[in-house]
Amino acid sequence: MLRDLARRLDAWVTDRNAELRLEGMPAYRPCQIRVLGQAALLESGLPLHLSATRDVDVRADYEHAVEAEFGRLLRASGRDLDPVGHEARMPTETTYTPLYSGRNVTLLVADPDAVLVSKALKAPAKNRPLIVEYLAKGASPRFLRLCTRYAVDLEQFA
Amino acid sequence: MTALAAALRMRARRRLAGLERRRRDPRYTRVVGRLRGMNLLVTNFEVADPGGPIRLADALWAGDVEPRIFELLPALVVKAPATFDDVRTLPPDLAAAVRALRRGETPADFRGIPGADLAGWLPRVGRREKLPSCTKTFRLRHDDLKLLRQLASALELTETDVVRRALRALAAAELVD
Repeated sequence: MLRDLARRLDAWVTDRNAELRLEGMPAYRPCQIRVLGQAALLESGLPLHLSATRDVDVRADYEHAVEAEFGRLLRASGRDLDPVGHEARMPTETTYTPLYSGRNVTLLVADPDAVLVSKALKAPAKNRPLIVEYLAKGASPRFLRLCTRYAVDLEQFA
Repeated sequence: MTALAAALRMRARRRLAGLERRRRDPRYTRVVGRLRGMNLLVTNFEVADPGGPIRLADALWAGDVEPRIFELLPALVVKAPATFDDVRTLPPDLAAAVRALRRGETPADFRGIPGADLAGWLPRVGRREKLPSCTKTFRLRHDDLKLLRQLASALELTETDVVRRALRALAAAELVD
Protein backbone atom coordinates (compact mmCIF):
# COMPACT_ATOMS: atom_id res chain seq x y z
CA MET A 1 0.00 0.00 0.00
CA LEU A 2 2.73 2.49 0.97
CA ARG A 3 4.76 1.65 -2.14
CA ASP A 4 1.80 2.57 -4.32
CA LEU A 5 1.24 5.81 -2.38
CA ALA A 6 4.93 6.72 -2.77
CA ARG A 7 4.66 6.12 -6.52
CA ARG A 8 1.60 8.37 -6.73
CA LEU A 9 3.29 11.04 -4.61
CA ASP A 10 6.34 10.88 -6.87
CA ALA A 11 4.15 11.39 -9.93
CA TRP A 12 2.41 14.34 -8.24
CA VAL A 13 5.75 16.00 -7.38
CA THR A 14 6.99 15.46 -10.94
CA ASP A 15 3.84 17.08 -12.39
CA ARG A 16 3.92 19.98 -9.91
CA ASN A 17 7.61 20.59 -10.57
CA ALA A 18 6.94 20.82 -14.32
CA GLU A 19 4.21 23.43 -13.62
CA LEU A 20 6.42 25.33 -11.18
CA ARG A 21 9.28 25.51 -13.70
CA LEU A 22 6.92 26.91 -16.32
CA GLU A 23 5.87 29.57 -13.81
CA GLY A 24 9.53 30.34 -13.08
CA MET A 25 9.16 29.11 -9.51
CA PRO A 26 11.60 26.87 -7.63
CA ALA A 27 10.74 23.18 -7.88
CA TYR A 28 10.22 20.90 -4.89
CA ARG A 29 13.46 19.19 -3.97
CA PRO A 30 13.65 15.37 -3.88
CA CYS A 31 12.63 13.97 -0.51
CA GLN A 32 13.14 10.90 1.60
CA ILE A 33 10.33 9.44 3.72
CA ARG A 34 11.26 6.98 6.45
CA VAL A 35 8.40 4.84 7.71
CA LEU A 36 8.56 3.94 11.41
CA GLY A 37 6.36 2.21 13.96
CA GLN A 38 3.57 -0.25 13.33
CA ALA A 39 3.29 0.80 9.66
CA ALA A 40 6.90 -0.32 9.15
CA LEU A 41 6.13 -3.68 10.80
CA LEU A 42 3.10 -4.17 8.54
CA GLU A 43 5.27 -3.50 5.48
CA SER A 44 8.06 -5.79 6.71
CA GLY A 45 5.95 -8.93 6.28
CA LEU A 46 7.13 -10.27 9.65
CA PRO A 47 5.04 -13.33 10.62
CA LEU A 48 3.44 -11.60 13.60
CA HIS A 49 -0.24 -11.03 14.37
CA LEU A 50 -0.35 -7.25 13.81
CA SER A 51 -3.01 -4.69 14.56
CA ALA A 52 -2.36 -1.00 14.12
CA THR A 53 -4.34 2.16 14.42
CA ARG A 54 -4.63 3.99 11.12
CA ASP A 55 -1.73 6.33 12.02
CA VAL A 56 1.40 6.17 9.93
CA ASP A 57 4.56 7.40 11.66
CA VAL A 58 7.17 8.85 9.36
CA ARG A 59 10.28 10.97 9.54
CA ALA A 60 10.76 12.89 6.32
CA ASP A 61 12.61 15.83 4.83
CA TYR A 62 9.82 16.90 2.47
CA GLU A 63 8.45 20.40 1.98
CA HIS A 64 5.09 21.36 3.40
CA ALA A 65 3.14 21.02 0.13
CA VAL A 66 4.56 17.51 -0.43
CA GLU A 67 3.69 16.56 3.15
CA ALA A 68 0.14 17.83 2.64
CA GLU A 69 -0.24 15.77 -0.54
CA PHE A 70 1.18 12.68 1.18
CA GLY A 71 -1.31 13.21 4.04
CA ARG A 72 -4.14 13.53 1.51
CA LEU A 73 -3.11 10.32 -0.27
CA LEU A 74 -2.94 8.48 3.05
CA ARG A 75 -6.38 9.74 4.10
CA ALA A 76 -7.83 8.62 0.78
CA SER A 77 -6.46 5.13 1.57
CA GLY A 78 -8.00 5.12 5.04
CA ARG A 79 -4.78 5.97 6.87
CA ASP A 80 -3.57 9.14 8.62
CA LEU A 81 -0.20 10.80 8.81
CA ASP A 82 0.63 10.97 12.52
CA PRO A 83 1.43 14.65 13.22
CA VAL A 84 3.91 13.62 15.94
CA GLY A 85 5.14 10.47 14.21
CA HIS A 86 8.55 12.01 13.64
CA GLU A 87 9.03 12.17 17.42
CA ALA A 88 9.31 8.36 17.64
CA ARG A 89 12.75 7.56 19.01
CA MET A 90 14.58 4.96 17.01
CA PRO A 91 17.87 3.25 17.90
CA THR A 92 20.87 4.81 16.15
CA GLU A 93 21.58 1.34 14.68
CA THR A 94 18.27 1.40 12.74
CA THR A 95 18.66 0.42 9.11
CA TYR A 96 16.19 1.46 6.43
CA THR A 97 15.19 -0.63 3.44
CA PRO A 98 14.05 1.15 0.28
CA LEU A 99 10.44 0.31 -0.57
CA TYR A 100 10.22 2.78 -3.43
CA SER A 101 12.91 4.82 -5.16
CA GLY A 102 11.58 7.37 -7.61
CA ARG A 103 12.78 10.55 -9.24
CA ASN A 104 11.55 12.82 -6.46
CA VAL A 105 10.43 10.50 -3.67
CA THR A 106 12.29 7.73 -1.86
CA LEU A 107 10.34 5.69 0.67
CA LEU A 108 12.30 3.67 3.21
CA VAL A 109 11.07 1.31 5.92
CA ALA A 110 12.75 0.94 9.32
CA ASP A 111 14.00 -2.57 10.12
CA PRO A 112 11.64 -4.59 12.34
CA ASP A 113 14.23 -5.28 15.06
CA ALA A 114 14.79 -1.58 15.64
CA VAL A 115 11.04 -0.84 15.55
CA LEU A 116 10.34 -3.56 18.11
CA VAL A 117 13.15 -2.34 20.41
CA SER A 118 11.74 1.19 20.21
CA LYS A 119 8.26 -0.13 21.06
CA ALA A 120 9.49 -2.31 23.94
CA LEU A 121 11.36 0.65 25.38
CA LYS A 122 8.82 3.45 24.94
CA ALA A 123 5.41 1.78 25.22
CA PRO A 124 5.81 -1.66 26.83
CA ALA A 125 2.18 -1.93 28.00
CA LYS A 126 0.74 -1.21 24.57
CA ASN A 127 3.14 -3.57 22.83
CA ARG A 128 3.31 -6.45 25.31
CA PRO A 129 1.45 -9.01 23.13
CA LEU A 130 3.59 -8.07 20.14
CA ILE A 131 6.90 -8.46 21.99
CA VAL A 132 5.74 -11.71 23.62
CA GLU A 133 4.92 -13.13 20.20
CA TYR A 134 8.25 -12.03 18.74
CA LEU A 135 10.18 -13.55 21.66
CA ALA A 136 8.18 -16.78 21.43
CA LYS A 137 8.75 -17.12 17.70
CA GLY A 138 12.49 -16.62 18.10
CA ALA A 139 13.70 -13.05 18.35
CA SER A 140 16.77 -12.31 16.25
CA PRO A 141 20.18 -12.09 17.98
CA ARG A 142 20.30 -8.47 16.76
CA PHE A 143 17.05 -7.66 18.59
CA LEU A 144 18.43 -9.21 21.79
CA ARG A 145 21.69 -7.27 21.38
CA LEU A 146 19.82 -4.00 20.86
CA CYS A 147 17.66 -4.72 23.91
CA THR A 148 20.82 -5.13 26.00
CA ARG A 149 22.33 -1.98 24.52
CA TYR A 150 19.19 0.10 25.28
CA ALA A 151 18.48 -1.55 28.66
CA VAL A 152 15.12 -2.98 27.64
CA ASP A 153 13.87 -5.24 30.42
CA LEU A 154 12.65 -8.27 28.46
CA GLU A 155 11.70 -10.10 31.66
CA GLN A 156 8.59 -7.89 31.90
CA PHE A 157 7.23 -9.48 28.71
CA ALA A 158 7.81 -13.18 29.44
CA MET B 1 21.44 -18.73 21.77
CA THR B 2 22.34 -18.10 25.39
CA ALA B 3 20.63 -20.03 28.18
CA LEU B 4 18.97 -16.80 29.27
CA ALA B 5 17.49 -16.16 25.82
CA ALA B 6 16.32 -19.79 25.60
CA ALA B 7 14.57 -19.54 28.98
CA LEU B 8 12.99 -16.26 27.92
CA ARG B 9 11.72 -17.84 24.71
CA MET B 10 10.27 -20.79 26.59
CA ARG B 11 8.31 -18.49 28.92
CA ALA B 12 7.19 -16.30 26.02
CA ARG B 13 5.91 -19.42 24.20
CA ARG B 14 3.69 -20.28 27.14
CA ARG B 15 2.33 -16.72 27.18
CA LEU B 16 1.81 -16.79 23.42
CA ALA B 17 -0.22 -20.01 23.70
CA GLY B 18 -2.63 -18.19 26.03
CA LEU B 19 -2.63 -15.15 23.77
CA GLU B 20 -3.45 -17.21 20.68
CA ARG B 21 -6.28 -18.96 22.52
CA ARG B 22 -7.78 -15.54 23.39
CA ARG B 23 -7.31 -14.31 19.80
CA ARG B 24 -9.62 -17.12 18.66
CA ASP B 25 -12.30 -16.04 21.14
CA PRO B 26 -15.38 -14.53 19.43
CA ARG B 27 -15.20 -11.52 21.76
CA TYR B 28 -11.81 -10.61 20.28
CA THR B 29 -12.74 -11.30 16.65
CA ARG B 30 -16.01 -9.35 16.94
CA VAL B 31 -14.34 -6.27 18.44
CA VAL B 32 -11.32 -6.24 16.12
CA GLY B 33 -13.58 -6.97 13.14
CA ARG B 34 -15.89 -4.07 14.02
CA LEU B 35 -13.04 -1.59 14.62
CA ARG B 36 -11.41 -2.72 11.38
CA GLY B 37 -14.74 -2.27 9.61
CA MET B 38 -14.92 1.25 11.03
CA ASN B 39 -11.44 1.88 9.61
CA LEU B 40 -9.98 2.49 13.05
CA LEU B 41 -7.72 -0.55 13.08
CA VAL B 42 -5.56 -2.01 10.33
CA THR B 43 -4.58 -5.68 10.61
CA ASN B 44 -2.43 -8.12 8.67
CA PHE B 45 -5.02 -10.89 9.16
CA GLU B 46 -8.54 -11.31 7.92
CA VAL B 47 -11.38 -10.84 10.37
CA ALA B 48 -15.06 -10.36 9.56
CA ASP B 49 -16.88 -7.18 10.55
CA PRO B 50 -19.93 -8.30 12.55
CA GLY B 51 -21.61 -4.93 11.84
CA GLY B 52 -23.86 -3.24 14.38
CA PRO B 53 -23.03 -2.43 17.98
CA ILE B 54 -20.51 -4.49 19.96
CA ARG B 55 -20.60 -5.15 23.67
CA LEU B 56 -18.48 -2.75 25.71
CA ALA B 57 -17.58 -5.64 28.02
CA ASP B 58 -16.19 -7.50 24.99
CA ALA B 59 -14.11 -4.47 23.98
CA LEU B 60 -12.67 -4.22 27.49
CA TRP B 61 -11.87 -7.95 27.42
CA ALA B 62 -10.31 -7.75 23.95
CA GLY B 63 -8.20 -4.76 25.02
CA ASP B 64 -6.15 -7.09 27.20
CA VAL B 65 -5.29 -9.06 24.05
CA GLU B 66 -4.74 -6.00 21.80
CA PRO B 67 -4.08 -2.88 23.91
CA ARG B 68 -4.64 -0.59 20.91
CA ILE B 69 -8.35 -1.20 21.54
CA PHE B 70 -7.95 0.59 24.90
CA GLU B 71 -6.41 3.52 23.04
CA LEU B 72 -9.61 3.99 21.01
CA LEU B 73 -12.23 3.16 23.66
CA PRO B 74 -12.67 6.44 25.57
CA ALA B 75 -12.92 8.56 22.40
CA LEU B 76 -15.40 6.09 20.91
CA VAL B 77 -17.59 6.25 24.02
CA VAL B 78 -17.63 10.07 23.77
CA LYS B 79 -17.92 10.55 20.00
CA ALA B 80 -19.42 7.34 18.66
CA PRO B 81 -21.34 5.70 21.53
CA ALA B 82 -23.50 3.80 19.03
CA THR B 83 -20.43 1.59 18.43
CA PHE B 84 -21.44 -0.16 21.68
CA ASP B 85 -24.69 -1.70 22.80
CA ASP B 86 -24.73 0.21 26.09
CA VAL B 87 -22.43 2.91 27.45
CA ARG B 88 -24.58 3.91 30.41
CA THR B 89 -22.59 1.78 32.84
CA LEU B 90 -18.84 2.22 32.55
CA PRO B 91 -16.06 0.84 34.76
CA PRO B 92 -14.61 3.61 36.99
CA ASP B 93 -11.32 4.02 35.08
CA LEU B 94 -13.08 4.29 31.72
CA ALA B 95 -15.70 6.65 33.20
CA ALA B 96 -12.89 8.90 34.50
CA ALA B 97 -11.19 8.97 31.08
CA VAL B 98 -14.50 9.73 29.34
CA ARG B 99 -15.33 12.48 31.86
CA ALA B 100 -11.93 14.13 31.29
CA LEU B 101 -12.34 13.98 27.49
CA ARG B 102 -15.81 15.52 27.72
CA ARG B 103 -14.37 18.41 29.77
CA GLY B 104 -11.65 18.97 27.20
CA GLU B 105 -8.97 17.78 29.64
CA THR B 106 -6.20 15.24 29.11
CA PRO B 107 -7.25 12.09 30.95
CA ALA B 108 -5.05 10.06 33.26
CA ASP B 109 -3.47 6.93 31.77
CA PHE B 110 -6.06 4.27 30.97
CA ARG B 111 -4.96 0.63 31.30
CA GLY B 112 -1.39 1.41 30.27
CA ILE B 113 -2.24 3.89 27.51
CA PRO B 114 -1.00 7.47 28.11
CA GLY B 115 -3.76 10.06 28.49
CA ALA B 116 -2.36 12.20 25.66
CA ASP B 117 -2.74 9.23 23.27
CA LEU B 118 -6.38 8.82 24.35
CA ALA B 119 -7.10 12.53 23.81
CA GLY B 120 -5.50 12.41 20.36
CA TRP B 121 -8.32 10.20 19.09
CA LEU B 122 -11.16 12.53 20.09
CA PRO B 123 -11.21 14.63 16.89
CA ARG B 124 -10.57 11.54 14.76
CA VAL B 125 -13.44 9.21 15.59
CA GLY B 126 -17.10 9.82 14.82
CA ARG B 127 -17.57 13.17 13.06
CA ARG B 128 -14.00 14.09 12.17
CA GLU B 129 -12.41 17.29 13.47
CA LYS B 130 -15.48 17.93 15.63
CA LEU B 131 -14.94 18.00 19.38
CA PRO B 132 -17.76 17.42 21.86
CA SER B 133 -19.25 20.50 23.50
CA CYS B 134 -18.65 20.89 27.23
CA THR B 135 -21.04 21.89 30.00
CA LYS B 136 -20.17 24.91 32.14
CA THR B 137 -22.52 26.27 34.78
CA PHE B 138 -22.85 29.97 35.68
CA ARG B 139 -25.04 31.74 38.22
CA LEU B 140 -26.57 34.78 36.52
CA ARG B 141 -28.49 37.69 37.99
CA HIS B 142 -32.14 38.03 36.95
CA ASP B 143 -31.42 41.04 34.76
CA ASP B 144 -28.53 39.17 33.01
CA LEU B 145 -30.83 36.25 32.35
CA LYS B 146 -33.54 38.58 31.05
CA LEU B 147 -31.02 40.21 28.72
CA LEU B 148 -29.82 36.81 27.48
CA ARG B 149 -33.39 35.75 26.69
CA GLN B 150 -34.14 39.08 24.97
CA LEU B 151 -31.03 38.77 22.79
CA ALA B 152 -31.80 35.15 21.93
CA SER B 153 -35.34 36.07 20.93
CA ALA B 154 -34.34 39.18 18.95
CA LEU B 155 -31.48 37.44 17.10
CA GLU B 156 -33.35 34.14 16.73
CA LEU B 157 -30.46 32.29 18.34
CA THR B 158 -30.24 29.83 21.19
CA GLU B 159 -29.03 31.28 24.49
CA THR B 160 -25.81 29.25 24.06
CA ASP B 161 -25.25 30.81 20.64
CA VAL B 162 -25.76 34.29 22.12
CA VAL B 163 -23.02 33.55 24.67
CA ARG B 164 -20.79 32.11 21.89
CA ARG B 165 -21.30 35.19 19.72
CA ALA B 166 -20.71 37.56 22.64
CA LEU B 167 -17.50 35.72 23.52
CA ARG B 168 -16.19 36.02 19.98
CA ALA B 169 -17.09 39.71 19.78
CA LEU B 170 -15.32 40.33 23.09
CA ALA B 171 -12.29 38.31 21.99
CA ALA B 172 -12.08 40.23 18.70
CA ALA B 173 -12.24 43.54 20.56
CA GLU B 174 -9.99 42.76 23.48
CA LEU B 175 -7.51 40.03 22.54
CA VAL B 176 -4.45 40.69 20.43
CA ASP B 177 -3.74 37.85 17.91
